[in-house]
Amino acid sequence: MSNPLADMDKPDVFFCIGTNMTECHPVAATRIKKGVAAGAKLIVVDPRQIELAKRADLHLPIRVGSDTALLLAMTHVIARDDLVDQSFTAERTTGLEEFIEHVRDFSPEWAAGICEVPAEDIEAAARIYGQAERGAIYYTLGITEHICGVDNVKSLCNLALMTGHIGREGTGINPMRGQNNIQGAGDCGAIPNNYPGFQPVDDPAHQEKFERLWGTRVDLERGMTKVTALERCGESVFGMVINGENTLLSDPDRAHCQHALESLDHLIVIDLFLTETAKLAHVVLPATAWAETDGVCTNTERRVQRLRAAVPAQGEAMPDWWIITQIAKRLGFEGFDYESAEDVFNELCQVSPLYNGLDWDRIDNSEYHWPVPDKDHPGTPRLHEDGFVNGRGIFSCTTYRDPAETINDEYPLWLTTGRRLQSYHTHTQTGRAGGMEYFLPGESLEIHPDDVTRLGLTDGEACRMSSPRGTVDIIVKATTKSPPGTVFTSFSFEDTPVNALTGSGYDPTTHTAELKVCPVRVEPIAAG
Amino acid sequence: MPSPTDAEIFTRWANTEAPLLPILHAFHDRDGFLGEKAIHAISEALRTPIADLYGTVTFYHHFAQQAPGQSAPRVCTGPICKLKGADALLDAMRGEGATPMACSGRCDDPVPVLKGHQTLVACDGQMTPWYSPIPIPNPGGLEECVFASIREPDRGTHDGYRRTGGYLGLEKALATDPAAVRQTISDSGLAGRGGAGFPTGRKWDAVAEDPRGPKTIVCNADEGEPGCFKDRTLMDLDPHAVIEGMAIAAHATGATRGFIYLRYEYPETAQILERALKEARATGLLGGQTGFDLWVRRGGGAYICGEETSLLNSLEGKHPFPRNRPPFPVTHGYENLPTVVNNVETLASVPPILSNGADWYRQLGTGEHAGTKVISLSGDVLRPGNYEVPLGLPLSKLLHEWAGGVPEGRAIQAVTMAGLSGGFLAREGLDVTLDEPSIRAQGSFLGAGGIMVLDDSRDMVAVAHSAMEFFAHESCGKCFPCRIGTARLTERLGSGGPASFESWREEVDDIGSTMKATSACGLGMAAPLITESLARWFPDQVETHLNSTTS
Amino acid sequence: MIQQGQEEPAAIPTVNIDGANVPFTEGETLYEICSRQKKDVPTLCYDPRLDPFGGCRLCVVELEGARNPVASCTTRATAGMKVRTKTEAIENHRRTLLELVVSENRQVEVDELAGYASQELKILVERYDANRGRFQGKQSGQSRDDDDNPFILRDYDQCISCYRCVRVCAEQEGDHAISVMNRGFDTRITTEFNGLLRDSDCTFCGQCVQTCPTGALADKKALKHVDVPGKIEKTRSVCPYCGVGCSVDLLSKGDKLVGVLPAMDGPANEGALCVKGQFAFGFVQHDDRLKTPMVRDEDGKLHATSWDNALDRAAEGLRAVVERHGREALYAIASGRAPHEAAYTMQKMMRAGWGLNHIDNCSRA
Repeated sequence: MSNPLADMDKPDVFFCIGTNMTECHPVAATRIKKGVAAGAKLIVVDPRQIELAKRADLHLPIRVGSDTALLLAMTHVIARDDLVDQSFTAERTTGLEEFIEHVRDFSPEWAAGICEVPAEDIEAAARIYGQAERGAIYYTLGITEHICGVDNVKSLCNLALMTGHIGREGTGINPMRGQNNIQGAGDCGAIPNNYPGFQPVDDPAHQEKFERLWGTRVDLERGMTKVTALERCGESVFGMVINGENTLLSDPDRAHCQHALESLDHLIVIDLFLTETAKLAHVVLPATAWAETDGVCTNTERRVQRLRAAVPAQGEAMPDWWIITQIAKRLGFEGFDYESAEDVFNELCQVSPLYNGLDWDRIDNSEYHWPVPDKDHPGTPRLHEDGFVNGRGIFSCTTYRDPAETINDEYPLWLTTGRRLQSYHTHTQTGRAGGMEYFLPGESLEIHPDDVTRLGLTDGEACRMSSPRGTVDIIVKATTKSPPGTVFTSFSFEDTPVNALTGSGYDPTTHTAELKVCPVRVEPIAAG
Repeated sequence: MPSPTDAEIFTRWANTEAPLLPILHAFHDRDGFLGEKAIHAISEALRTPIADLYGTVTFYHHFAQQAPGQSAPRVCTGPICKLKGADALLDAMRGEGATPMACSGRCDDPVPVLKGHQTLVACDGQMTPWYSPIPIPNPGGLEECVFASIREPDRGTHDGYRRTGGYLGLEKALATDPAAVRQTISDSGLAGRGGAGFPTGRKWDAVAEDPRGPKTIVCNADEGEPGCFKDRTLMDLDPHAVIEGMAIAAHATGATRGFIYLRYEYPETAQILERALKEARATGLLGGQTGFDLWVRRGGGAYICGEETSLLNSLEGKHPFPRNRPPFPVTHGYENLPTVVNNVETLASVPPILSNGADWYRQLGTGEHAGTKVISLSGDVLRPGNYEVPLGLPLSKLLHEWAGGVPEGRAIQAVTMAGLSGGFLAREGLDVTLDEPSIRAQGSFLGAGGIMVLDDSRDMVAVAHSAMEFFAHESCGKCFPCRIGTARLTERLGSGGPASFESWREEVDDIGSTMKATSACGLGMAAPLITESLARWFPDQVETHLNSTTS
Repeated sequence: MIQQGQEEPAAIPTVNIDGANVPFTEGETLYEICSRQKKDVPTLCYDPRLDPFGGCRLCVVELEGARNPVASCTTRATAGMKVRTKTEAIENHRRTLLELVVSENRQVEVDELAGYASQELKILVERYDANRGRFQGKQSGQSRDDDDNPFILRDYDQCISCYRCVRVCAEQEGDHAISVMNRGFDTRITTEFNGLLRDSDCTFCGQCVQTCPTGALADKKALKHVDVPGKIEKTRSVCPYCGVGCSVDLLSKGDKLVGVLPAMDGPANEGALCVKGQFAFGFVQHDDRLKTPMVRDEDGKLHATSWDNALDRAAEGLRAVVERHGREALYAIASGRAPHEAAYTMQKMMRAGWGLNHIDNCSRA
């Protein structure tokens, strides 16, 4: 997030797109609910009638995967109606003129045809956000899990740059991170393109720096993404270590994924449970869980916080860092002589410029948002206040692309996926928490009642859903929460492994899978 | 007339001011009750959270949640009706689904039964409609203010009202600077006739001087105090006087909108007011060019809504708990904007004051007491009814000379003051004059002017018990001392609580003093006057009661 | 010091609390000032996160010039106010109020595991010696034993109608799932149509539980551990679920994790949690947890083994892959759920160990 959570009582317009916040980030959503109760306006862009949509001043139920078209048209209206923040764009951005020329063709009427919402609503959304004193954008995976995820994000940046809704209190571009330490995994360099602290690996200066720090020279070449790695399993990838991820359920195209993992010579899984993925491993190593582990995590607002152990480990479980360190040592690697999580974290603080000002003791009270470049720095709750990292904000001339697969006679419905309030991800933890089954005994497929009738389905009974990649049987739930033509379910349950169907495409830059869009066919299960 | 659809109801009301109450009434009238379907529909149409709406509906006594509901008879079991055999009538009507209701403001009439939009009384074995009687003229021929022309024929119509001097005050006011109008009201000494006695001119000044708007005039017609029925008489017989008073108040303060918040139990009054409003609009006195319009909003049966901040919450569709004060309604009233909340009688006093001048009104009172007060007199007197008295009139004169005293062979044992809120006066306590200083010196107060007379045949503990039951029934539940205290005091006047007079007294005094000192609004502060005055004037009856319940 | 020629700055406004002049800021209530002054003014309906309500009246104080005591929580300070917080009369009223509350409440003692604020009534009753059996009479409240939800106990026998639960649900959560029905002594906490929480707009965030001062609303999951021996320990940590990063206090008794409390001073959540953070901690000590390392043997099945053996096998397997296919044949996926130290060591093993950037995490799914 560019802005801290505490800023969420300050916007006069919330623009929430592709984020089902009340279910996925409930505590952040309470801040929006409070803001709306206090008079702020709320625009919600989501194909479904999610809870936030009910509270919205304006809900745009766009067709799944049409976000870029909507955002282009909004920028068109903002340019056309003179809602551009002239002083901000003059001082802080570059490429505005070219961009305005670029969006001239993308009228609300054009977008209405793609997004399947009225042009007036697109106009209204643009004007409400454009005229806001402090407009704040919130988004989640509904923006990024598309083949055009990067374009979507860039389009949001265009909106914020044009209107100057960035770098100030109560504004910003605010992705809500889905997992407790997904931000931290990136901070720590567990990504193929960056060392810890987002230092690109293809910069020789960084290569040199880390050679100095670690005593080994790392490739200048970026690594492949997980998606590529899974594609190459059994071809060029033969050994894998997976820590705390139930890849088999969470990743797209389950059959492909299972085949990939099975074709490895050696798979090590470090986890809390014998997950569907762990069952395929050659070595399974039990890690300590939350509440048993000392450590650090970074939340969605870049706040670096301490995790503390309250109870002893179950059985012989050991902290992840210890396990990895032990393997590294057995492989003869130098520099793994850590005695504690504290040692590991303090080393991270030394090598990451974003953390240079931090150490184990300084984060005791959770008060720092990175970057914290030195010990005198108070941390950075709000990014871009004094300028953008690379100088000026750059407008991107994005264009709209159809999803990788679109509906057709054979697969006439859009499937979109997400989470539910009471279950988390692949349910390995919430499924064992005790009690959640009271609310969510199993998964169902949310279908508009008209579609239920049209397709000859029965509410409460199983149907068969298929994509080119697979088939899943699932209970029908008739609800107007889904718009006609679009169905929804979560990927939480082993017995309805919806990711058997997904996997139609990936964003070319980030390799993020298009989990939010998948044409499917839904039909009754033939009797007998 | 075909019953309206949900959509028709919302089209009619959803975009009006203060829409929740009329919508609830529309569904209640249509379906006979407020069922789940109706509450779902209303919640959606008004974007009100459904649990809040449900909770608020259950707050009001008269909103039924199932059939027979609205059309089932409700029998008044107020303190005076109880003395007149209300319990027996209720039992007799149980077969028709009858339920009891708290004092419904007709203590000078036979026991009233509310059925749908009609008030009925038993007359020769038949239930017949009943209308407000014309006040009895006072025997001394003393000059009156609000009753001066009320006995004129057709006074309730616009033409009749005009013919008898109506709307002259408004004409005069409109030709006068608002500040001068307020000065006249201040000079007249008019003070809140609903019981609080706050100087009306000062209230109007505060609203007028607040720069924010729109401003609102609210007529508090939620006459819920047992033993009080003066406002109904005024509205039924002289509705234009109230409208004129509100229009003058609007001119004086710059208000653009007004409400008459009318208690549920006065359905005929609602019709009378609506008719008068229609006439007033048709003749250009309201709406359009005048820049001021007003509407009737009916309550749902809750005494606390007579408390002005509860009333405002109720109007706004919120849960009718009283608000914390300060801030007061003059700055933070309806929709948190400057608002005048005046009682019916106060507003009805305004036109004659404007017509006849401040001095005229002042001198209607006795000595230094300015003006008049309508007293609702009921119970054990020969001529119960509403009497407009000069403030300062001796109570005994009203009781004996005006109202004919108690029935032959009986003596006055006690009277209640301020309806029930002032507790009892007895013996030397009856030697008061009808004005606040005199009555407060006896530990009571005049309040809204309801006086119930109890002769020496009455069981004072039973009367006190039913009074406390009323307060417990009407306690809103917001603050601890009132919510628990009224329940505990009720038990101690019934069959519960300590057996010895000493411990009884100690508990009752402790509860009472804490209620008086710490309650959040007047209800909880006033209720313990019942036990306090009972113990003061009738300790022997309390002891007898305690002995009888424990033996 | 005031320099010559300059205008005298406006005096900082003060109120007099029990004889001492105390400065205050515009909008502060007497209760807030008293709290700052450590006056220990009692209250049961107050939660600093909520709008002042003025229901319990325990916080009344004497205000010079006012006919009656005023509720300090709803009275905003104005300059020159003179306040006395603890006169004999005030203390007597507080005691009477508490005795009235005790008289309608079936039980004053509740286990601490019930919730964050669950001891408030008990503490005040002890302080004022208010459990003397006075003011006996009928009891309010009505336990909802029929609500079979696994998380929130609704034992309204212990409800004192402070409405903190209703207000926290409306004002903090914005959910309005519960409300007040009826009135007076018959007031009840209700959902729409007085049904089960599951059938209402309740999201089971547990905020009502944590603000309840009597344990009428209580944490059913935590209360299962009442009989676990030992003292309750609190450990500050961060919720393991989404990226908001809510601060929590883990409750443990000995080796047993028994519950979670929201951290009222947590920067991300300021006392809030959701159903997962509040109630979904049971996985930690679930029987399904892996307790020993496992390796796949010749039979093709996973078998428990020692750490030494498992780590050797893990390392050997990787080494064998490198020997057979080269180092580029290795790949590692770090977790978005594990702490920094896991991700850091994992990427370091790949980079410092093999010179590879073959590392990713689960953010792409």
